[in-house]
Amino acid sequence: MNTTASEEQERLHAGFHAVWANPRGWRALSLVNHTTLGLRFMGTAVVFFLIGGLLAMLVRAQLALPNQRLLDHELYNQAFTMHGTVMMFLFAVPMLEGLAVYLIPKMIGARDLVFPRLTALGYWCYLFGGLILISSLFLGIAPDSGWFMYTPLSSNVYSPGPNSDFWLLGITFIEISALATAVELVVSILRTRTADMSLDRMPLFAWYILGMALMIVVGFPPLILGSILLELERAAGLPFFDVTRGGDPVLWQHLFWLFGHPEVYIIFLPAAGIVSTLIPVFAQRPIVGYRWVVLSIITTSFLSFGLWVHHMFTVGIPHLAQAFFSAASMLVAIPTAIQIFVWLATLWTGRPLFRLPMLWLVGFLVVFVAGGLTGVMLALVPFNWQVHDTHFIVAHMHYVLVGGMFFPMVAGLYYWLPHVSGRMPSERLGRWGFWLTFVGFNLTFLIMHWTGLLGMPRRIYTYGAGLGWDLPNLVSSIGSFVMAIGIAAVLLDIALHFRFGRIAPPNPWNADTLEWATGTPPRMYNFASQPGCATRHPLWDQPELPESIADGKHWLSIFDHGRRETLGTDPVSGKVREIFHLPGNSWLPLLIALGLAVVCISLLARSYAIAALAALASVTIMLRWSWVNGLHPAALADLRTQLGDPPLHTHTFDGPGRWGMGVTLIANASLFLALLFGWFYLWTVAPHWEAPAASPLPWFVLLPAGLLVTIATLWLRRIVASLHRGTAANLQMQFWGVAGLGLAYVAVLVQVLSTAPLSATLTAHDAVITVFLVYLLLHGALASILAALQALRVRRGYVGPHAPYEPGVVGAWWLYTLLTFWLTYICVVLFPVGWGGG
Amino acid sequence: MLSPSHPLQLALGLIVWSAWFVAIYGALSVGCALAPPDAELGARTWLNGLLAALTALTFAWLVRQAVVCLHATRTGTAGSPQRRFMMPLSASLYVVAAVSTLVIGLPVLGLPPCP
Repeated sequence: MNTTASEEQERLHAGFHAVWANPRGWRALSLVNHTTLGLRFMGTAVVFFLIGGLLAMLVRAQLALPNQRLLDHELYNQAFTMHGTVMMFLFAVPMLEGLAVYLIPKMIGARDLVFPRLTALGYWCYLFGGLILISSLFLGIAPDSGWFMYTPLSSNVYSPGPNSDFWLLGITFIEISALATAVELVVSILRTRTADMSLDRMPLFAWYILGMALMIVVGFPPLILGSILLELERAAGLPFFDVTRGGDPVLWQHLFWLFGHPEVYIIFLPAAGIVSTLIPVFAQRPIVGYRWVVLSIITTSFLSFGLWVHHMFTVGIPHLAQAFFSAASMLVAIPTAIQIFVWLATLWTGRPLFRLPMLWLVGFLVVFVAGGLTGVMLALVPFNWQVHDTHFIVAHMHYVLVGGMFFPMVAGLYYWLPHVSGRMPSERLGRWGFWLTFVGFNLTFLIMHWTGLLGMPRRIYTYGAGLGWDLPNLVSSIGSFVMAIGIAAVLLDIALHFRFGRIAPPNPWNADTLEWATGTPPRMYNFASQPGCATRHPLWDQPELPESIADGKHWLSIFDHGRRETLGTDPVSGKVREIFHLPGNSWLPLLIALGLAVVCISLLARSYAIAALAALASVTIMLRWSWVNGLHPAALADLRTQLGDPPLHTHTFDGPGRWGMGVTLIANASLFLALLFGWFYLWTVAPHWEAPAASPLPWFVLLPAGLLVTIATLWLRRIVASLHRGTAANLQMQFWGVAGLGLAYVAVLVQVLSTAPLSATLTAHDAVITVFLVYLLLHGALASILAALQALRVRRGYVGPHAPYEPGVVGAWWLYTLLTFWLTYICVVLFPVGWGGG
Repeated sequence: MLSPSHPLQLALGLIVWSAWFVAIYGALSVGCALAPPDAELGARTWLNGLLAALTALTFAWLVRQAVVCLHATRTGTAGSPQRRFMMPLSASLYVVAAVSTLVIGLPVLGLPPCP
């Protein structure tokens, strides 16, 4: 803290600190603050990165010489599979999400993310999922089918051990974490920007993170679905990918790459956000073409979903379809190129200072542009066929991912280190780290392009001498070790700076964004008062802002109510609308994640009874989480606000939960649409698809369920409408009524599921229908429970005309349940009749 | 009809593009599974015609939306800074969606659908 702080600043700090401080000792496991959790995310990601890096070293050591016997083929398969898996799922995404968790509230002038308990849950799920996955390495049963786990290689027949199960269950666990964090980031960016921070004044980094988070919300569920289906096939024999029983292994490829290609941009966008943040600071001028950058972000976020088949050009799809994806693959280079020209123009028209972070940015520009160009080459179908599954692909992928993510990320780490620690890194050691990494990287992967063009396939554990691959492999291996030394120098620099680094002055780079107004290191509440934001460059245009914020001269400078709160603003204009009160520290996220970890381990051990019990326990704790909310005294003890302040969100209809539910339902819809895609894909393409002459689900069987869910949803909407009018009567009884109808809906579904002549293990047709029914059942059950909880909350006085907010949130879930029911009915019951089968 | 300054305009063009993209890929797959045209006909088949029509309609709608947003940008006088930011951005995104539709759809004119 600044030693010249005024007494008023000290008073405010003491007051806010009492409300926001992290618990110490073992109670620190219950903290929910975004600053600490962001750092935990990043610290954990670095540990996983070291493990992934060691695996890469093993791979390169094995390939350094022909006929090498350092690793046998089984260990080599595990090493390259886990290297890719760890780097993509345990390092790249969590590292960048961690950075976003740490930075976003500070950049948008908020005190915390909008769902602090969700941040904690995301972290614990990530940690436990990662540990479960990594444990397989030490047990010698790590996944070994490649990081994209193609079937049938990863299916029971060719991978009978638990290796693939570790991947499927561990990665799903980690993806829950990524999704939770993404939902939170979307809602936080849209609804908790500080006063008057309209969309056109939002820091570009927040635009990038918004794009990334929405892409996660839409892009991850197809893989979650794929993993569930493949695990069901492996554990329970439901044949979604087994061609002999009506499945199709190519369906896995579609589900994987529906996630997998956007994943590249999910990693690239936040890294590009770092570049767009740093370049104007080091050029000391506003970015050239702010609107062009926003245009590029939105365009990339969409177009990158239209490329997934370019990973599958060799599986035998029509040339015309390949042309669609080839054209889309080339188009996506344009928004990226726009950003590169914007960055160059900003540097050109500014006065760039070549400090350490800038060095990494220049490295990024060189490496990433090269990776992008080979990407355009790979978009061309004939070339793609030629180099498919060779080391050329491995080289291209590393140019894109290391160039597009690692270089900007290290630039960002160096840039924000003084923010975290209050100290400056060493320029000398940092420069050594950069040059060793840059030279080592290019030595490894530039050469690898030629190795690939010379025909060396990827994923072979050794090769014979005299094929022309000896020298390039040796050079690549030497380069990889040089790179490793460079990265070690960077990590050493970062570690040493905490002890020996020069004390950083306030805002050491003369940055323009609000995170540098929090003090370094930042306080747990970020801002003693939340400032209005009249410009895109608040700290350049109002350099006195850090002082006036600390003096409490802006919004929400009162702390004696004892609640954690932040401004809720209009998503477009940034006008203040509500006060969002935020939950404090809680054990619930840790307990839920522990429960889910037990589920995961029990499934791996095929102990299904324990898995069911642990799942039940986790759901119960989640319901407790939803109970300690709103007007519950443990969530909100003091309702006082200052004269002139906006209302607390629980007294309105539009709080963070409504937005959180909306974004969660988008993710849910993405999973459901992927399931529908699977249904139609198998129906159209699977060579041995068999639709029975008589449908196991005649049209009249599900109609009573449809009637019940429709009436219940309409009733609930009526309740919400009456709350809007302020005329709600008999609320508790009405909620019980809705819950009762929901229960009847579930009962009908259970009856259908238990009596319909479905042979889920014999045909993919019946297996998919079973999944649809279980999906509807789970949604109906949760909808009923939520309605019943609303009835109980009305009785306790937590919900009512004075607090009308929650029923609308529950209503959104009911509406989704209704829509998915009727879509399922149309596609699974009516469509086969029209098609002429079933 | 959404106003040209509505924030959803930022996404609508590319959402429509996404729907069109899924539709042409799906229609091609289903068409080739159900009634594959004779390969000797080249690109002059009912399936190519259907895909080209879908592409043309989508392109036309996206261009129209771009023009609406652009017109609102030019005629809007006392709009807020956010409106002045959003409307040209929306217009540009509609243009992006339209061009993407055209570029990706063009092969329909030259390639046979199923081989």
